[in-house]
Amino acid sequence: MTTLPTERRPRRLIGTTAWYATALFIAAVMIVPLLWMITIGLKSGSAVFEIPPRLLPREWTWRNFIDGPQAINFPRLLLNSTIITALSVLGGVMTAMMTGYALARLRFPGRKLWFYLFVGSMLLPGVVGLIPLFQLYKSIGWYDTWLPLIVPAFLGGNPLFIFLARQYFLAIPYSIDEAAKIDGAGHLRIFTQVMLPLTRPAWITMAILAFQASWNDYLNPLVYLYSSGKWPLSVGMAAFISPFAGKTPDWSYYMATNLLYMLPPLILFFAAQRYFIQGLGSLGSTTQK
Amino acid sequence: MNRWRLPFQRENGGRSRNTLSRGAGSDTLAAYLFIAPAIIGFTVFVGYPLIRSFYLALTKYNGLTDPVFVGLGNFRRLFTTDPAFWPALRATGYLVVLYVPLSLILGLALAMFCNQRFRGVRIVRTLSYLPVVLPAVATITLWKFILNPQVGLLNTILERLGLPTSLWLQSPTMAMPSVVLMMLWGVGGTMIIFLAALQAVPTELYEAAKVDGAGPWSAFLRITIPTISPIILLQVILQTTAALQTFNQPKILTNGGPGFSTNVLMLSIYNNGFPNLGRVPQLGYASAQVWVLFIVIIAVIALAAKFTSLWTYSDNTPD
Repeated sequence: MTTLPTERRPRRLIGTTAWYATALFIAAVMIVPLLWMITIGLKSGSAVFEIPPRLLPREWTWRNFIDGPQAINFPRLLLNSTIITALSVLGGVMTAMMTGYALARLRFPGRKLWFYLFVGSMLLPGVVGLIPLFQLYKSIGWYDTWLPLIVPAFLGGNPLFIFLARQYFLAIPYSIDEAAKIDGAGHLRIFTQVMLPLTRPAWITMAILAFQASWNDYLNPLVYLYSSGKWPLSVGMAAFISPFAGKTPDWSYYMATNLLYMLPPLILFFAAQRYFIQGLGSLGSTTQK
Repeated sequence: MNRWRLPFQRENGGRSRNTLSRGAGSDTLAAYLFIAPAIIGFTVFVGYPLIRSFYLALTKYNGLTDPVFVGLGNFRRLFTTDPAFWPALRATGYLVVLYVPLSLILGLALAMFCNQRFRGVRIVRTLSYLPVVLPAVATITLWKFILNPQVGLLNTILERLGLPTSLWLQSPTMAMPSVVLMMLWGVGGTMIIFLAALQAVPTELYEAAKVDGAGPWSAFLRITIPTISPIILLQVILQTTAALQTFNQPKILTNGGPGFSTNVLMLSIYNNGFPNLGRVPQLGYASAQVWVLFIVIIAVIALAAKFTSLWTYSDNTPD
């Protein structure tokens, strides 16, 4: 299932009016919190705590979108997040594609064993590794560096991707490899020049999921990074409003910056909605058919 | 265990056996070069921590001096003397019991709603999925302010509608329901998987049921539910294991409070293993907690798998 064809089935369970009333309610529940966030971002600092609260700002403080990010050190955090995310997306997709290719299209002893081990490790809760890995990273000098957030991606850190890649490679006709082999291509050439172009939807989906996972990750950077100058956005944003900071956080600065933090995944979502839905839907559809 | 994972494991690579066997030796070398990174990763990030964490659970370890073996001492302390452990288990259980059924019911209802033919259904689907796309920290912090009793959006709206308001996160009884409410805003993630499952239900089944005079309700109970039952089970497992490991929401929204009301197991593990400056990390003790959580997760999966054969509709005939 590549797309979700909503028009396929002309089945209606409820009347038109009831449907639209419910649709409006659902849409409001999903979108109103975000709109409200923008209005808070536009209020001046003291107006946020006005009682009774007004839904719209009295004066529109556009400067919050400049002062807020500065107060939160947003440019630095954005740069950190961008580097960490870019590298872990690259690593995650590359390793998963390589592993999926070998597991699906090469014959070798241990193929099934490794497949089951990789896929089985999906069931292992991430928290089991937290403490031993923290100590391991500390002992090799990786504590308070970005390496614990990046290197695991290059080493097949997300078994779901390996599974997805293998599924995709299995669906490609084997005559293609045969033809390439007759032309004298080795595995590396078949992989890079024949397989990668053919599997574009698979690795775009993975890249999006990897982007989301890394951009959203909070626990790992929280545990592995100590210096605030190295924090990604998730940790930096949460720290700004945490009560440990000593003073009441400026919510209007925060909400203005929060919108900027949401923008990259939001833009990606609207640009590649098909792949997003495919990514999650693939989990359901692979188990079904 | 095997039943629900069966489709995952379908081997249709078999037809390559003969055609790709030219020089099996070179294939083996190439294959191991291709999967070498994943093998190293599996050893270092899965195998090693699994063994090491089990060992640490049996020790007293502060991360600075060598671990001291104490046998089951950590577990004895957990279940008998630690005043924070039972509340942590209870909070975790409460979260799972509140969140998982609601997420499944709302997710399925939303999926069925979005599976109908109406103008604008795409917009509803996109908007429902929007909160899932946004960074967790961004949405959680937003909700922290929405749930603010004095100036938050939720109480503002309730007040204008003349409905009772609440202290939400600041009330010991309402804190956990508030956390769950926030998590349910992301129900679109559950919805999208159900939607894919619903769209794979053969239309002929509904048509046949209609001919036989079945109403929408009995079609739902006798066709939809049985046909998507493997996905329901998968969702139960995924959602339960994820809910058991909830960390971000209680960490940012309440930091465990008020009292122990939202101090879930993950938060307790984090605070024991990585405490604020000035307190000694109890890595051995936290590892013991990790293993309690791990065993609960395995039990959930095993239990779900055992029930599978009883109630899911089996579509695993070889095709």
